[in-house]
Amino acid sequence: MKLRFKEYLKELRDPRYFQIIYLFLFLVYGIFNLAWDANILKYSLVIGSALLTQYICLRITKQGIGSLKSALITSLGLCLLLNADKAWIYVLAGVLAISSKFIIRIKNKHLFNPANFGIIMAIILTGDAWVSPGQWGSNAILLYFIGAAGLMVILNVGRIDTSLVFIGTYTFLLLGRDIYYLGWEFDVVAHKITNGSLLLFAFFMITDPMTIPNHRKGRIIWSVLVAVLVFLASSRLYVQTAAVWVLFFVTPATVILDKIYKAKKFEWHFGLSMNSISNKFNL
Amino acid sequence: MKHLKTTILIFTALLGSAGTVSSFCGFYVASAGAELYNDKSQVILVRDGNHSIITMSNDFKGNVRDFAMVVPVPVVLKKDMVKVVDPGVFKRLDAYSGPRLVEYYDQNPCQKIEYLYDKITATRSMEAVTEDSEIVEVKKYKVTIEEKYTVGEYDILVLSAKESEGLKQWLIDNDYKIPEKAERVLEPYIKSNMKFFVVKVNLDEVSQTGFSELRPIQLSFESERFMLPLRLGMANSRGTQDMIVYAFTRSGRVEAANYRTVNMPTARMVPTFVKQQFGNFYKDLFDRRYNSEGKDAVFLEYAWNVTPTWPGAKCDPCVGPPPVYNDFKEAGVPWINNGNGGNVFFTRLHVRYSEDKFPEDLFFIVTPNTEHFQSRYIVTNPAYGDLSCDLGIKYQHDLKIRRKKELMELAALTGWSANIYTKYVEYGSGKIDSSGSTQKQRNSVVPIAPRGGHGPTLPALVFIFAFIGIVFLLTRLRPLATIT
Repeated sequence: MKLRFKEYLKELRDPRYFQIIYLFLFLVYGIFNLAWDANILKYSLVIGSALLTQYICLRITKQGIGSLKSALITSLGLCLLLNADKAWIYVLAGVLAISSKFIIRIKNKHLFNPANFGIIMAIILTGDAWVSPGQWGSNAILLYFIGAAGLMVILNVGRIDTSLVFIGTYTFLLLGRDIYYLGWEFDVVAHKITNGSLLLFAFFMITDPMTIPNHRKGRIIWSVLVAVLVFLASSRLYVQTAAVWVLFFVTPATVILDKIYKAKKFEWHFGLSMNSISNKFNL
Repeated sequence: MKHLKTTILIFTALLGSAGTVSSFCGFYVASAGAELYNDKSQVILVRDGNHSIITMSNDFKGNVRDFAMVVPVPVVLKKDMVKVVDPGVFKRLDAYSGPRLVEYYDQNPCQKIEYLYDKITATRSMEAVTEDSEIVEVKKYKVTIEEKYTVGEYDILVLSAKESEGLKQWLIDNDYKIPEKAERVLEPYIKSNMKFFVVKVNLDEVSQTGFSELRPIQLSFESERFMLPLRLGMANSRGTQDMIVYAFTRSGRVEAANYRTVNMPTARMVPTFVKQQFGNFYKDLFDRRYNSEGKDAVFLEYAWNVTPTWPGAKCDPCVGPPPVYNDFKEAGVPWINNGNGGNVFFTRLHVRYSEDKFPEDLFFIVTPNTEHFQSRYIVTNPAYGDLSCDLGIKYQHDLKIRRKKELMELAALTGWSANIYTKYVEYGSGKIDSSGSTQKQRNSVVPIAPRGGHGPTLPALVFIFAFIGIVFLLTRLRPLATIT
């Protein structure tokens, strides 16, 4: 019994649990503090379809069922960002998001950020899905909250560089255009930067270690690229949901950057948990 | 028959207390329209792809010679892109989509809708200006007159400018009273390549046509920018301003892109005396909701499919008649021809903005969301007559409980004190005066009841615990999977 408990604690050191808890807290925050309609059917469909797809895909590819956690993270991302007019679209998004991980692969690494893929596909294929960029508001407390929460997640995974470079570049571009060139006051830029959707994107979407370049240099170039494209799409083309579209179309850059800057592919666990130890020794 | 009536009433009361009154045939008794807000404007937005049609109500009630308006627009507007429309369209849309109070059994005369107008963007001073001076001196100001024409009772100029100082000076020299703060707001608009749509009243036209009020101006143009430039309007107002947006799209709801869009509370059971003061009730409710959401949200008051050929009900119940072909035509919905031609979805948004809480202009997105919504409140009149039978006694007991809940709801929604209405709960004697009530009093103390907008619902709590269960299971799964 004692051993069980120790195993338990080690299992909990997997950073993905932090991610699950924080994403879940955002959902609770949205429902209770931001006056979202608590669409229980939506959450159940997204989470259910994602977990089931992951389970089936793992069975087909004969892998352990441990990585259901990733599916849960993906489905929470979908719950937080995707809206649809019909219930079946949530199932579609969940299934497509997860199956993309198993189908669209290059060199043993899946290509698209699964939640992002699910969102874009739901929007393109059905025309009845959308992302509400304003749903998080621009609350300074929320900034702190998402920032701190995001930081903890990333520190555990070691991909904080993408978030910071992205936010830094984006802020720099906004300051240059809105304040230096256009002559707005700082509150305009502050309002844009503290947009909850943008911060969520920065801390939770573009930090997924599986779908961003492996090498640090690659990641920095990639983050700058994403920030510049998001800036251009939102300020020149007035695309209000620029971030999710940019992340989708910037995916090939990850492949190219991985070719230029070679580094070991990210693996979850890093020997942190008992599992990897037991796997090593074939226990 | 009496028994039957009682049963139905208790049933509906229970339904109401669970907050799930989904559909019923009630009577509309009162509406809380745009007339409640002093510093307010009304705008109709039509969006089809990149095509925007913006209609601005003209609520100017002073001497028409003093009227002037400056609106930043994304493109140079030609004469055929501007027209004046019948002001009645705003009244009809407001009446159709305003927050509503419905009641069971009793029908009450509708409150008369009366408008108060007193807001304007810029005011023109009395002196007349000769047209020549405008053109001759344009170069000095680095201001270009892109277009110049008269539409209806308005003389219109479309200006582009190189620098804010010049534009400001031009406006001042041409007798527009520009607030001091406007200059720093003009600059970003100039740099973002916005043009300035400048409107004055043509006095000859007014005297010829004999219009008693200035008509709304409608602009029609192509632009990626689906937005309303709030910043310029805020330059001459310290406090808050209310704006009602009536939006029409082909696909679904319009929502704010850079601010939160929040539903107003709906389907709430409130005490019967709210009927007499529904306007004040909704005003206080809105104040409270506005404050509790941090003063920086956009509020959804109505969303409905208004497609003429769509067979479903256009409202439930209707406060005013749903828009007909003529309204679509006035509102500038271009894809409706002869009452046919595609879907029309209608959204009513209520924005209360101030300079500190709305630093950015308000951008919108069109969503495919076709879920219907209306801000609706319900009063339930009690049964009359002899209630001495068993069911009647139970009914009176239930009625007291229901009325207590209604008072709690009222306190939570508006902040009105529940304590001063104790008499309301005691009306259980069988001879119930449906209109009897004390005067409403504001309550400065925040009631302990949950806040008006939203609170933890049972399904949400069930979901949260179910989710925690799933995560717990996952933590168990891995060790088990590796061990076996």
